Amino acid sequence: MVDLMSYPAKLDAIIHLFESLPEQEKRENLISYCDNAKKVEPKEGETFDIEDIRKDEECTDEVAVFLKMSPEGGVHFRMRLGPQVQTLTKAMTAILCKGLEGCTPQEVLDLPSDFVPRIVGAELVRLRSQTTYYILTRMKQICKVWLDRKRAAALV
Amino acid sequence: MSYFNTEVLVDCDWVEKHRNDPSVRIVESNEDVLLYDTGHIAGAVHIDWRRDLQDQLVRDYVSPENFADLCSRNGITPETTVVFYGDKSNWWSTYALWAFRLYGHTKVKLLNGGRAKWIAENRPVTREVPKYAKTTYPVPAKRHDDEIRAFYEDTLAHCKAHKPMVDVRSPSEFSGETTHMPEYPQEGVLRGGHIPGAKSIPWKTATNDDATFKSAEELKKIYEGQLGFKKEDDIIAYCRIGERSSHTWFVLTYLLGFKNVRNYDGSWTEWGNRVRSPIERS
Repeated sequence: MVDLMSYPAKLDAIIHLFESLPEQEKRENLISYCDNAKKVEPKEGETFDIEDIRKDEECTDEVAVFLKMSPEGGVHFRMRLGPQVQTLTKAMTAILCKGLEGCTPQEVLDLPSDFVPRIVGAELVRLRSQTTYYILTRMKQICKVWLDRKRAAALV
Repeated sequence: MSYFNTEVLVDCDWVEKHRNDPSVRIVESNEDVLLYDTGHIAGAVHIDWRRDLQDQLVRDYVSPENFADLCSRNGITPETTVVFYGDKSNWWSTYALWAFRLYGHTKVKLLNGGRAKWIAENRPVTREVPKYAKTTYPVPAKRHDDEIRAFYEDTLAHCKAHKPMVDVRSPSEFSGETTHMPEYPQEGVLRGGHIPGAKSIPWKTATNDDATFKSAEELKKIYEGQLGFKKEDDIIAYCRIGERSSHTWFVLTYLLGFKNVRNYDGSWTEWGNRVRSPIERS
């Protein structure tokens, strides 16, 4: 179980960086992460343990989540977002792919979402930017599927 | 047949040609709060509908003093022609334009097709934020709420008098089947449905796929033919929080020449939550 006061080390470092930044630099860093959202898309020839590609009512465009498990049991996420997805959501996608790299699926499931306003800042968290939370939900869902499959396989 | 106001809509070529004109200020207003930062038309300033136009405490617009300060910071004078554009088929830019009109700023234009059209035409964008010398913008003597804005009590009286009203939300929001836009979060509405007597014409009916407005003939068929609205009618438009209805207010006022159109910006998030508000479902 992740301690409520701490986060996976890589994510924790990102949170602390953002918290130390003045508003303008925070925005610039978010844009930079948004630019990197393309880099977390699946690469040609990459294979995954689970793929979850869909467009839900909660998001303006398709969000595709790809999960590959390392031999050590750590997660490796790839994400592909439709062009209508908002800038903040794209930024959060790149942040989460980096920040959760190598975590166990259970650590992802236990992760509280209260870090989002700490990264984004109160000024940018708005009702219509709630899809930033949706990305984490989708990552948790795919981890849960992986864990359920693993448990089911163990019963056979 | 041309639009009633033949000057208010401009195309990308016009913006390209006039973006360095000192009597013109290009303003981007979006739903996506960081979209401007990712790249915008060179010379354009950013006006954020929530941070810059809305009071941060009370659900209302900023004071005339704060509006004057906003204009001053962005190098706008009462003589400046402000050209709005933005995402979502210009929802928020028409909202900003409507808000400017609340303070009596009438020199306004809109980029037809908004940001999507500019990008679709492969026109350049920049991340460089322009700096303009501060201007002196006199504090408007008043806000023209009574002319283009409807409050709850106005809308209730309008409803009871069976005056024309247009609900511009999606069909499922109008019928009461859903309480939020497709693809959007629930924004805290307790009841679904519509204001009794309101007719449903979703805002999108007025636009083409590329976010530009339909022709004057097509718009006339929709609002005068299908809805039966007449030019002299007293009309209220509403949606959920007033941005989509700003789009329809713009169409009726500027493109078709209706004289008395008000935007009920409290919209469904006020009406659908208000105790004992009359509601109709269909």
